[in-house]
Amino acid sequence: MDSILSGIKERATKLLILILVCGFGSVACRLFYLHMIMGQELSEKAVDQQLSDTLVSAKRGTIYDRNGNVLASSASVWKVILAPAYFENDNQRHYVSQGLAEILGLDESDVFELASKSESYYQTVKRKVESDERDKVLAFIDKLSDKYERLSNVIVLEEDFKRYYPYNDFAASVIGFTGSDGQGLAGIEYQYDSYLTGVSGRIVTENNGWGTTMPFEYQQKEDAKDGNSLVLTIDETVQHFMEKYLKQGIVDYKVAEGAVAICMDVKNGEILGMAVENSFDPNNPYVLASEDAQKEVDNLTGTAKEERLNELLAKQWRNKAISDSYYPGSVYKIITASAVLEENAANLNSTFYCSGSYVPYEGVKAIGCHNTAGHGSQTFGEALCNSCNPAFMMMGKALGMDKYWEYFQSFGFNSRTGIDLPGEGTGIFFGEPWGPVDLAIGSFGQGISVTPIEMVTAVSAVANGGYAVKPYLVKQILDANGNVVETTEPVVKRQVISEDTAKKMSEILEKNATEGTAKNGYVAGYRIAGKTGTSEKIGNSRKKNVEDYIASYCGFAPADNPQIALLVYFDTPTGEAYYGSQVAAPVFAGIMSEICPYLGIEAQYTEEELKYVDTAAGTYLSLNLNEAVSKVEADGFEAYICGEGNTVVAQVPQSGAAIPRGGKVVLYTTENSTKETETVPDLTGMTVTQVNEIASEYNINVSFSGSVELDTVYSYAQSINPNEQVAPGTVVTVYFGNNDVDDTVM
Amino acid sequence: MLQSYLDSYLDSFSNEKKKNTEVQKKPSPMSKRPRTKKKFKIFSIGEGLDLQFLGLLILIMIIGLIMMFSASYPYAYHRYGDSYYFIKRQVIFAIIGVAAMIGISFFDYHHFHKLAAPIMGVAWLLMLIVLIMPTEDNAPKRWLNLGIFGIQASEICKFALILFFANWCSIYYKKMKTIKYGVAPALLVLGITGFLLYLEPHYSGIVICMFLVAVMLYLGGLPIKYFIIAGVSFGVLIVILSATGMLTYAMSRMDGWGQALEYTTNEMWQTTWQTRNSLYAIGSGGLWGLGLGQSRQKYLYLPEPQNDFVFAIVCEELGLIGAFVVLAIFGLLVFRGIKICQQAKDMFGRLLGVGLMAQIGLQVVLNVLVITDWLPNTGISLPFFSYGGSSMLVLLVQMGIVLNISRSANIAKE
Repeated sequence: MDSILSGIKERATKLLILILVCGFGSVACRLFYLHMIMGQELSEKAVDQQLSDTLVSAKRGTIYDRNGNVLASSASVWKVILAPAYFENDNQRHYVSQGLAEILGLDESDVFELASKSESYYQTVKRKVESDERDKVLAFIDKLSDKYERLSNVIVLEEDFKRYYPYNDFAASVIGFTGSDGQGLAGIEYQYDSYLTGVSGRIVTENNGWGTTMPFEYQQKEDAKDGNSLVLTIDETVQHFMEKYLKQGIVDYKVAEGAVAICMDVKNGEILGMAVENSFDPNNPYVLASEDAQKEVDNLTGTAKEERLNELLAKQWRNKAISDSYYPGSVYKIITASAVLEENAANLNSTFYCSGSYVPYEGVKAIGCHNTAGHGSQTFGEALCNSCNPAFMMMGKALGMDKYWEYFQSFGFNSRTGIDLPGEGTGIFFGEPWGPVDLAIGSFGQGISVTPIEMVTAVSAVANGGYAVKPYLVKQILDANGNVVETTEPVVKRQVISEDTAKKMSEILEKNATEGTAKNGYVAGYRIAGKTGTSEKIGNSRKKNVEDYIASYCGFAPADNPQIALLVYFDTPTGEAYYGSQVAAPVFAGIMSEICPYLGIEAQYTEEELKYVDTAAGTYLSLNLNEAVSKVEADGFEAYICGEGNTVVAQVPQSGAAIPRGGKVVLYTTENSTKETETVPDLTGMTVTQVNEIASEYNINVSFSGSVELDTVYSYAQSINPNEQVAPGTVVTVYFGNNDVDDTVM
Repeated sequence: MLQSYLDSYLDSFSNEKKKNTEVQKKPSPMSKRPRTKKKFKIFSIGEGLDLQFLGLLILIMIIGLIMMFSASYPYAYHRYGDSYYFIKRQVIFAIIGVAAMIGISFFDYHHFHKLAAPIMGVAWLLMLIVLIMPTEDNAPKRWLNLGIFGIQASEICKFALILFFANWCSIYYKKMKTIKYGVAPALLVLGITGFLLYLEPHYSGIVICMFLVAVMLYLGGLPIKYFIIAGVSFGVLIVILSATGMLTYAMSRMDGWGQALEYTTNEMWQTTWQTRNSLYAIGSGGLWGLGLGQSRQKYLYLPEPQNDFVFAIVCEELGLIGAFVVLAIFGLLVFRGIKICQQAKDMFGRLLGVGLMAQIGLQVVLNVLVITDWLPNTGISLPFFSYGGSSMLVLLVQMGIVLNISRSANIAKE
């Protein structure tokens, strides 16, 4: 018995050793391996699945105009995320897909497809969801959590920002637009993306297996740093007038390829306005703004459609003001003349004889002047006012090739201006090698190309006393709290011509704008100096055998103390009028007439002009008839009474409307008398005096636009069409200018 | 040799068959005190209860309850909205179990001689009932619904097997070398049990039962050659069964074994989810652990952390040091238990006690090997740690028996 018992005892001991040594020993080894050797790797993997790292979007900075008007701003929107991994069955998927599709206006099957990606925790259902839809989604999440406990995290709302451009297509080419992730894709938005973007924050939270936060606090939060805001040099009002007149010009002159206007402060290079038409709406940059373009794309199919759409989108986003280069044509004569004066290759007393054509170099064909009869003998100034090509070919010859090239460079045409916008182009110097003919035609702006921004910068240099300044668009950079972080300092690159030369040029150009070929750009009282240009377009014509033109006008004001320079440029006017003087000059004048008073440039009227200067009508309502009449007369107007009453119940023009001195103010004394009408006469093709006579016969007021000093200037348009019925006293704006063909087109 | 066999045969015969009439006259040579037993007492109060063993047991239970609570409360809160859901039930069963243990420790283990066969029968019956009346559809049929709580039939079965073979071997110890008494009954009993478990299916139960029967037969003196033959033929059987496709469920449980950290397919990634997160938990623990209650993996990453994988949370919270301490306490408990029971006055006591303690050691080892991905993930619970009222109750009843054996064993003499 003992041996049996001890046998058991012995085996029990063996068993014990087996369990303890082999069993517990191997267990201990395994645990040691996992803890100490695999520990690092395993714990990293564990932490990986436990931590969730959420990016917090930074709010993109605002873009203001120089007066603090908001041109672009960001507002909170939400991104709806689905975490399909939480779904347990198709019933739940259908329920959620249906609910979300209904709220977000999506196709249910599309949402269901996302919901079926059962391994995913992150499927974007919809971006840029605004607060009303977001509230509905939140309500749906509540409802869902009640219905299916496990689905409380299946829908996630992530805050995001959406870019809004309150003025729609306003200054779109300058401001640019942003992509779906808020990144700047064009214009200022692109150029200053790093400033505007800010720094995303992140929240690191520890999550449990269901993706919700752990009950104990473990959260590391790094706040998002909102982006900087920008204050542009753009003035909303100036830009507005520029766009308004350009749009009208495009319609009036049937301009096919858009138009550009740039307004620059000549002293420091601030761009007050940069209008590029036809533009786009940065709120919907991928929508073709032009209906014709959209129709064209709609008629295409397949890849052709896609390619054409991309082509047209690229075209509408293109900032012609800085990217397109064109033959400057006669506008470049400003530069040639400045160089000639500066180099003393000719002086103000030099005379140039134009016989209607000129042979710049022996053995080549004669190059004609636009005035085939010839301008005869002209002084330096007269040659510029006549825009005489032979005279400029002579000047070019006198200047010489090297100097021509030197000034081409120093005015900044072969290098970028350095404006703070992406995609700037540069002028091109085509004649390589440079021959005498190249020099000859280059002297009047053919055979070389420039960009609009280069041209206006060069003209600014003439205006400001000879200094090439760097144009810029961003005046200040503000932090998220509105404190100024950076202020752009104007950069004067170099002196191009002497102040004396600049002064002489200003005088000649002012004369040109009042008497010369540029007179259609004149604005009474504002001492405009300017030059027109018409040039053949670079590259292929739209149609065979039909030339395309660029009509431009570049000038500055006031001539005695230049403040702003303005370039107006129409690409391919297809109407009857296509010359710079016909197309660009009136638009230039229109813009100048609005922005000069706005910018506080003091008007200096000549005596003749003073007669036609508009004055604001006063308020005559509710006055006794006699009092009203005397007040009207005191204001410098003529009173015209309608009705039998004793008290003024209505007036035309309205209080504050601009009418010329001596104009008629119609005072109505009885209510029903307002029905009296006048027929608008045809006021075109007349001199100022004739227009005045007719207008007074018809009891309407005329506002004069354009150069009115000379009786050689004729009206060419009126703001209200002939034969329309209007109330007596209504103001009709009549545009004056001449139809002289001023330029040579090569 | 022959004489000693004869003696023991006579001894056992007189002890077991003749109701100790001879022992009455001639006290057991191992008895320290001149205590005589005329018959088995129903209760044996006041005899040397092994306090070291009891202390270790209470210690491991307390650690087990604390760790089970720590591991279970996030899941309990998520699932039932009550952090205390599991611990409340476990503590109730622990109290009932300790009471039962104390009670059983007064109950003379010799009475289990007669109860061995009936308990085996009851265990089989319960397993049949489980098969006939499953509690859940499409799930393994393991649980017996007793109204207030469920009981896993295999828990009782394990105890029944130990008891049955302790009884068998102590009766037929002389014939253990024969096929008829040594091998045949074992194959028969194991066959029936295994078949019932196969129907549930509960393969880890089969494995544990096989281990336990092997332990009992080894203790009972079955020659080693039979184990080798059994091992080989079992291996052949497995190959044949898996070839015929009868082990698909078991094979599916083997899927992804040892590959928890490698992503192959999404399905496999889901299958190995629990094991992988167990490894993450263990690895996160490092040397000193994240601190009690600081586990991250229990926050719904490690599914059902209160069950088989509770030790992974122990590793995460208490580190390698904590895990070793827990294992050391288990080791000491098994060591002490076997030490006591191998001093029991009779064969039955020795076989029964050592068998019961071996079961504890075996389950601890197998459990930890499962959670560390050295064995496939098949439900093997960790004694005193894993949640489960029936398991706790049965374990404590078994410990009661060990305690009772300790009363009659005289350890001090050795």
